[in-house]
Amino acid sequence: MASADKLINTDVPEKDVFAFHFLQSLSNLRKQNPFDTPDQKNYRVRKIKKAAYVSMARAAGGSSRLWSRALLRRADKDDNKIVRFSRRKRKVTWKISSKRRRSNQRAPVVEEAAERLRNLVPGGGGMETSKLMEETAHYIKCLSMQVKVMQCLVDGLSPK
Amino acid sequence: MSNRRSRQSSSAPRISDDQMIDLVTKLRQILPEIGQRRRSDKVSASKVLQETCNYIRNLNREVNNLSERLSQLLESVDEDSPEAAVIRSLLM
Repeated sequence: MASADKLINTDVPEKDVFAFHFLQSLSNLRKQNPFDTPDQKNYRVRKIKKAAYVSMARAAGGSSRLWSRALLRRADKDDNKIVRFSRRKRKVTWKISSKRRRSNQRAPVVEEAAERLRNLVPGGGGMETSKLMEETAHYIKCLSMQVKVMQCLVDGLSPK
Repeated sequence: MSNRRSRQSSSAPRISDDQMIDLVTKLRQILPEIGQRRRSDKVSASKVLQETCNYIRNLNREVNNLSERLSQLLESVDEDSPEAAVIRSLLM
């Protein structure tokens, strides 16, 4: 791919894609652990939160974005799924060492803010600053979409 | 195939300054209520990144709150209420 992409695409899917994936995750949760045990409240909340992030990553296109890949990989690791194979491939494909990152340094004040951003965006640690900004734009759009979906759900379920 | 992919990422054209400015502009558009400053690009870029960090933290907090409320709502639904019907139709 020698041609340079002039327009950087940060479009996200429509809201109903996010809603579908989130509801699917919730439905799977329900099948695994019924929501009737009152003493496991924090566990439930954590499960819902994780379902929100995972379903958001899937809705956003799964492996087509660095942040969604990193998020899903982190989620798999939490579930103790074996990730040994993918780790081997990961070293060759999208893991950018900090040495290469330094080759595209922006002004120090920008880099400082970028470091803080790297801690917030999944997979940001290995990205060059310019790639980080692109991923961040997409990530923010998806996150706000996910928040809207959850807000709608809460509004729909709240007693009038 | 993985080799091809790594070669692609290393030889991919670096994003030019113009594209960088375009990205900063895009981020600025997404962020709510950011001042329309016309200073030098470096200053505005770091300010935009700062606002972005704050915005992401806010969104994460929102997700936390909404997850808690959802957990309460999903647990405390009466069997015959309209909410239960909504849940049943959505989740089953």
